[in-house]
Amino acid sequence: MQLNARASVRTALRAAACLVLATGLSTAARADEPAPPAPAPAAAPVPIPTTTPGWQLDATGLIYSEQSRTSVAEPIGRITRIFQNGQTLSAQLAVDAMTGATPTGARPSLSTQTVTSASGTSTHAVGEVPTHQYHDLRRAAELEYGFPIGTLFQGGANAHYSREQDYQSIGAGGSASIDVLHRLVTLTVGGGYNRDEVFPVGGTPIPLVDGSTPHESGRQAKDVGSWLVGLSRVVTRRWLAGGNLTLTRESGYLTEPYKVISLIDPATDLTQAQLNEGRPRARDRRAALASAVYHQDSNILYLEYRYYWDDWRVRSHTADSRYLIALPGGSHVTPHVRVYTQEAADFYAPKLDLGQPLPEFASSDYRLGPLNGVTFGASYGFRMPNSPGEWTVSAEYIRQWGRGPAFPTAGGEGGGGGGQPPDTRARPAAAQAITDPQPIDTIPPLNIGSVVIGYTLRF
Amino acid sequence: MYRARRLAWAALALLALALTSGCAATVHPWDRDLLADPKMKFRPAPMISAVDDHIYFSKEGSMGGATAAGGGCGCN
Repeated sequence: MQLNARASVRTALRAAACLVLATGLSTAARADEPAPPAPAPAAAPVPIPTTTPGWQLDATGLIYSEQSRTSVAEPIGRITRIFQNGQTLSAQLAVDAMTGATPTGARPSLSTQTVTSASGTSTHAVGEVPTHQYHDLRRAAELEYGFPIGTLFQGGANAHYSREQDYQSIGAGGSASIDVLHRLVTLTVGGGYNRDEVFPVGGTPIPLVDGSTPHESGRQAKDVGSWLVGLSRVVTRRWLAGGNLTLTRESGYLTEPYKVISLIDPATDLTQAQLNEGRPRARDRRAALASAVYHQDSNILYLEYRYYWDDWRVRSHTADSRYLIALPGGSHVTPHVRVYTQEAADFYAPKLDLGQPLPEFASSDYRLGPLNGVTFGASYGFRMPNSPGEWTVSAEYIRQWGRGPAFPTAGGEGGGGGGQPPDTRARPAAAQAITDPQPIDTIPPLNIGSVVIGYTLRF
Repeated sequence: MYRARRLAWAALALLALALTSGCAATVHPWDRDLLADPKMKFRPAPMISAVDDHIYFSKEGSMGGATAAGGGCGCN
């Protein structure tokens, strides 16, 4: 009994000496950082799946609304089974209910227009972007499987299926990551393949011909292959940094079937026709992402920068920052700022001129135009008293605006306001002369608000 | 724009070099208490991040960077 007591005292003293020495060495190596209050047990930079079996329920609800345009409600449910050996199997279901108006791509109205459609009669003011009403329901299902191999490898596989009124996506992907250099560095590779199909309501429009011509029938295929290589590194005990490169290769039908582009007579500035837009049948999209996370004593700073470029000549810079502020009681609030700027695709044109040869491709979709965006938001994470699970409420305001040239307001506007909506073909019924001398933005500002509520429960 | 692209590649190469080189101090396992914080991830709330990504993907001309998955909707 005495021998055992001496042995445990000796063991405890040895352990304490080791910890003191180790802490000292570690502190000496990083003079700029304070010593931790107490040595913590070993932990990986990216925690491996827990070996405590159980379940995790995640539920998320999105309410999204654009000013005078689209509104979306999207509930998402996800259940995850965590196995004893660290494997995880998740199943997710989502429903996306979309309704409202979306731009047709036609030139903004240079005069007040009354547009008659199946939905009724509406009046469009000067400078208003022509839109058509739509509603759609997207249903999506996803399966994901994660499996550790030993303590350094982590594999993952996923498959998804989604369906809309005029779009279907089926795909699968996988990823593998390995921790190296004493788990200071994690290398990740991943890839995926989607086999999508587009079947526009009313048929597939023929590119760059008048929108009123008959459409082709049948389904249009779209293949999407994507690859990712990533690296993350523990830089200090407070700082995690990483970088990703992604390549997405799309081929097939990449045109927006309901978008048109206005053909303008430059002599009179009148719209002569609305042509169906047309885009190339291939697109290589690349992105380089640099990320950093820095843990202060209790708050955490998240920074991201992404450079994106593709062979349609779209280029963009995205900077994203979040700052998690820990509050008493385990709750936290996280302000968020995101800034985005984009160069236009080489075939982007707000309009086409009559008398000029038609280009091979043309689109006036503002999402391919010279675009800026900014996001301000915040999220609040908390636990309900006497209730299990963790809640997150996130609200964001997004403002997008273009840098495109303004349309002159000289001359009259006799056409336009149309497009090829799937179920409501808008036709101008009346127009009046322009009286407003102000130029009209090609891409007027768009205000967007979104609220996301998330709930996570482990049991 | 080619200049911006070259700069991006150079920045990425530097980042990769910095991340893989031994210039950063070693962080011992017993020093990883803060790194073990569940919020100490590039994307601590993956489902909310996925929703955000979907919004930006459908309203902008860019995508990718964080995940290999892409598309999956005929976004209007």
